[in-house]
Amino acid sequence: MKKTKLGEFEELVLLTVVVLQEEAYGVEIKRELEERLNERLSVGSIQSALKRMEQKGFLTSEFGEATKKRGGKRKRIYSATPYAHRVLTEMKDVRAGLWASMPKLAYDLKII
Amino acid sequence: MNQYDHIVPPKWPRKFLRFFVKKEYLEEIEGDMEEIFRESLEEHSVRKAKRIYAFEALKLFRPILIKNLGGDYRLNHYGMFKNYLKTSLRSLKKNTLFSSINIVGLAIGMSVGILMILLLSELHSFDDFHAQKDNIYRVTSTRTLYGREGNYSTASYYIGSQIDAQIPGVDKVLIMGRDMSADLRTEEKAIPITGFYAPTSFFDFFSFKLKKGNPQTALADPNNIVLTESASKKLFGDADPMGELVSADGHQDFQNGIITGVIEDPPVNSHMQFEALVALKTLDKRAEGQERNFKDNPRDMYNSYVYLVLNESTKTEEVEDAIGKIMNDYNSNAEAPITHRLQPLDTFVTSDTYVNGTGPRFSQRKIYVMIGLTLIVLLSACFNYTNLSLARALRRSKEVGVRKVTGATRFQVFIQFMLEAVILSLIALIAGLGLFFLIRPEFLNLPNPAARGYQMFLLDINYLQLLYFLLFAIGVGCLAGFLPAMFLSKLKARIVFNNASKVKLFSGVNLRRVLIVFQFAMSIGLIMCAVLVHRQYKFALNYDLGFTTEKIVNIRLKGDYANLLENEYSKIPEVVETSKSSVVLGVGSAMLTMIKSEDKSSTVSLLMSEVDERYFNMHEFEILAGSGFLSPLREDESPKYVVVNEAFLKGLNLGSPKEAIGKYVWRGDTRLEILGVVGDFVSITLNINLEDAFGFLQTSKASRYHTLGVKIRSNDLLATMGKLEESYKGLDPVHPFEATFYDDQIALAYQPQKTTYTIISFLAFLAISISTLGLLGMAVYTTESRMKEVSIRKVLGAGISNLMLLLSRSFLVMIAVAGTVAVPITLYLVDNMILNEFLYRAKIGLIEILSGFVIVMVISALTIGWQIRMAAVRNPVDTLRND
Repeated sequence: MKKTKLGEFEELVLLTVVVLQEEAYGVEIKRELEERLNERLSVGSIQSALKRMEQKGFLTSEFGEATKKRGGKRKRIYSATPYAHRVLTEMKDVRAGLWASMPKLAYDLKII
Repeated sequence: MNQYDHIVPPKWPRKFLRFFVKKEYLEEIEGDMEEIFRESLEEHSVRKAKRIYAFEALKLFRPILIKNLGGDYRLNHYGMFKNYLKTSLRSLKKNTLFSSINIVGLAIGMSVGILMILLLSELHSFDDFHAQKDNIYRVTSTRTLYGREGNYSTASYYIGSQIDAQIPGVDKVLIMGRDMSADLRTEEKAIPITGFYAPTSFFDFFSFKLKKGNPQTALADPNNIVLTESASKKLFGDADPMGELVSADGHQDFQNGIITGVIEDPPVNSHMQFEALVALKTLDKRAEGQERNFKDNPRDMYNSYVYLVLNESTKTEEVEDAIGKIMNDYNSNAEAPITHRLQPLDTFVTSDTYVNGTGPRFSQRKIYVMIGLTLIVLLSACFNYTNLSLARALRRSKEVGVRKVTGATRFQVFIQFMLEAVILSLIALIAGLGLFFLIRPEFLNLPNPAARGYQMFLLDINYLQLLYFLLFAIGVGCLAGFLPAMFLSKLKARIVFNNASKVKLFSGVNLRRVLIVFQFAMSIGLIMCAVLVHRQYKFALNYDLGFTTEKIVNIRLKGDYANLLENEYSKIPEVVETSKSSVVLGVGSAMLTMIKSEDKSSTVSLLMSEVDERYFNMHEFEILAGSGFLSPLREDESPKYVVVNEAFLKGLNLGSPKEAIGKYVWRGDTRLEILGVVGDFVSITLNINLEDAFGFLQTSKASRYHTLGVKIRSNDLLATMGKLEESYKGLDPVHPFEATFYDDQIALAYQPQKTTYTIISFLAFLAISISTLGLLGMAVYTTESRMKEVSIRKVLGAGISNLMLLLSRSFLVMIAVAGTVAVPITLYLVDNMILNEFLYRAKIGLIEILSGFVIVMVISALTIGWQIRMAAVRNPVDTLRND
C-alpha cells in the first residue's frame, strides 16, 4: 500500500476488471464503467489505466478470441493479480475505517 | 452480418494509430477501436462514427502507449559498438603499413585543417567584443579622379556631422581623426606614439574598457590624451599617469597634452589598433580662421573615419540614399563626385576594396585560396584511405559475410566501416595536433604585409575549438570511409561464401583510378604553382629598375634635419655620395599630384617624388634629354623645374624628349619648366604600369624629405653602419635608426609573393607526400596480389625490365593523365588568380610547365619502382612452391 499508488480512476478500472472476470477486455470494461459512472470515457483513458496497472503488477493479461466485429483482431483479457485483490481489500478497509471514525456531529448537522 | 459490414474505419486515423502505438499493444487496441466503431455505427451516422473513431485515436496518443524513440527493438547497442571497436582496432593493428600510411596522411592533412579552423575562427572573432557589433557601420567614400577610382574607408567630417544632424534611424555617429602620431615627451623621455583623434562618444560606441578616468570627460577638452595601458607603461612606468603633462615637440596640432585616462590595450582581434587617443577637439585649431575648413568641406575625406550605429530597424540602403541626397549639393557641380557607402563591421578586416583602413587585414580572396589549398591536401589524404580500403575490401569480405549471416543489416555493416574510418581519423587528429604545433610558429612568423606590422593571429586553442576539431575529424572520417563502407556493406553473404571469385574484386577500379589521377593532378598543380610564383618573385627582384641601387643605404627621416644629417655624413670617409628624396622608388609607394598643360587644356595625374640635385647622378638614371636638377633651391623659393619620364610627354602630347625640353606645365598655380627627360624606370612596383607619368620636383623644405640615400664604400659595413647611426642619434634621439639597403627594401616590397610562394610550396610538399604515401600503399598491394602472376611470368622467361614495365604501366599512365589534366588548368588559374596583379610577368618556359609533372613522375617512379623491383627480383620458387 505504501509504495504502489493506485489512482482513483485506476481503482475503478481495477474493480471493473474483477467484476467482469472472463469478460474483462478493453471495450467491455469501458462499457461497464460508462454505465456505472454514467459518463463517456475515451479508449485512451481506459487503455492507459490498464497498461499502467499492468506495469505496476496489478493486472496480468492474455489474448482471448478474435471476432469478426473486431476486424479479426484478438481481445486481450485482463485479470487482477492476488496482489491487486490484497490492495483493493486494504483500501476498502482503510475507507471503511475512515467512514466509521467520522464524527457523528457531521451526520447530525446534515440532518438539520 | 448487417448492412455496415462493408464500412471500414477511416484510413488516416488508423495509420496514425499503427504509427505510434507500441507494437505489443497494437492488436488489442486496434481491435477495441474497431469494435467500438462497429457499435457506434449502429447508433450514429457513418460520418459521425468515423469522426468518433478519429477523435478516439487522437486521444490514444499517450506517453504510456507510444513507441519508444529510436526504434522498437530493445537490443543493447553497447555490445555491438564494443565489437565494432575491437574489430576495427584489430584490423588497424594487423595491417600496420596501411594504417600508418593512412594515419600519417590524414594527420598531415589535419594539421593544415586545424590551422585553417583556427585561422577562420580567429578571423571570424574580429571585433566581436563590441557590444553593438551588429549595428556598427563605417562610412566609406568612392571618388573617381582622372579615371582612377579610389575607394577609401575614410569619409569627410562634413558628412559625419550631416548624418548626425539629418538622417533618422542612425542612433550614434562617431567621427574620428585619422593617424595621430606624435612624440610624447615627459621630463625623462620621449616616445613616438600613434593613435586616433576621438570624441567622448568613443567610449559608448566601442567597447574598449576605460581603466582609469571618467568616460564623460576623458576626451572632452582639447589636448586631453587617453593612453593605452602599454603606452602608459612605456612613458611612465608603474607610476600613475593621470593628470600628468606631456609635450609633443613639433606636432602640428598640439604641443602640450594632459593624460586624462588609461584604456585597455586593443585586443589582437580589433580592427582598430592604437596606443593613444587624443581629444577630437584638438583638431579644431586646424579649422580656425579658415573659411572652408576640414569640418565643412565634403572633399576633405581622407583624414577622418565616420562610424555609425544604425537603429535595428534601419536598412543600410535607406541611409545610403539619404547620404546621396545630402551629397547631391556638392556632387552636382563637382569635377569628381563623391559617393558614400556603408560597410558593416564584420567586413573591415576581410575586405580589400578600401584604402586608408586601420589595423590588420586578411582579404576574402586570400581566405578562399587558403581554404581551397587546405581542401586539396585534406581530400588527398581522404582519397588515400578510400583507395587503400577499397583495394583491400576483398580481405574483409568474409567478415562482412559472417556478420550478414548472423543478422546484420546492410546499414549496420555500413556503420561499422564508417566507425572504423572515424576511429582512424581520430587517431590521426591526435597526430595532426602534434604536427600543428610544429608548423604553428612557422606560420605565425611568415611575413604578412597585409597585417601591417600587427600580430593578427594567435592560433591558440580553446575548448570550443577542440570540439570543432573533433567534429572536423569525424567529418573527415565519414568522408574518407563513405565509399569503402558503401562497397563493403553491399556485399552479399551468399556470394561471398559460395564463390569468392564472383565477388566483384575490381569493382570500383575505375573510381580508384579517378581518385589517384585527382591526387596526382593536385600535386602536379601545386608544384607548378610554387614554381611559377617563385619564378615571378625572382623575376621581379632581378628586373632592371632603370636606376642603380647598388651599395645605397636608405635612411628614413622623421623630422626636418635632412640637410644637417647630410652634412654630418659628408664627414664620414666611407660615404661616397648622399642624396635626399621624399619617396623611395620601386618599393610600393609614391605621391600623386595633378599637372596641367601650358594652356591648361589637358590634365594628367602624375606620380611624383621630390628629390635633390644629386639624386639622378647617384642613382644613375638614364637622361634622354636635358639634364637633372643643377642647383638646390634657396629657402622659400618655390620649385621652377620638373624632370619627367616619357609617359608624361605622351600624356600631355609634348612630343619627343628633345622637343619637350623648355616647355612649361602647371602644377596648381606653379609654372614648371621641363628641365630633363629620364628613361623608363620602375616607379612603384612591377604591379603598376611603367607607362604611368612620373615627375621629379625640387623642394626647399627639409621636412619634405623622408629618405636620405647614402652610397657607401666600405670593407667593414658594420662599423660604417655604426657611424651612420651615431650621427643620426645625435640629431634624432627619439626615433629608432631605420637604415636599409636599397636592394633589401625592394625584396621587402615583393614579400607578399614570397609568402605566397612559401605557403604554396609547403602545401605542395604536403600534397606530394600524401599522394606518394598513397601510391606506395597501392604499389605494395598490387605487387602483393600479383605476386603469383609475376612468379609464373618469370618462370616462363620474362625479364626483370619486362616485369617492371608490366606492373608499373598502369600507374605511369595515370600520372600522365593527371599531368595532361593538371597543367593547363594550373596555368590558367595561376595566370588569372595568383599572379594577376603583376603587369610584368616572367616568361613561362617549358621547364616551368613540365616542372610539376616531372617531379611527380620521378618521385612516383622511384616509389613504385622500389616495390616492384622487390617483387621482380624475388625467387619465384618462394611464392610458387606451396601450390
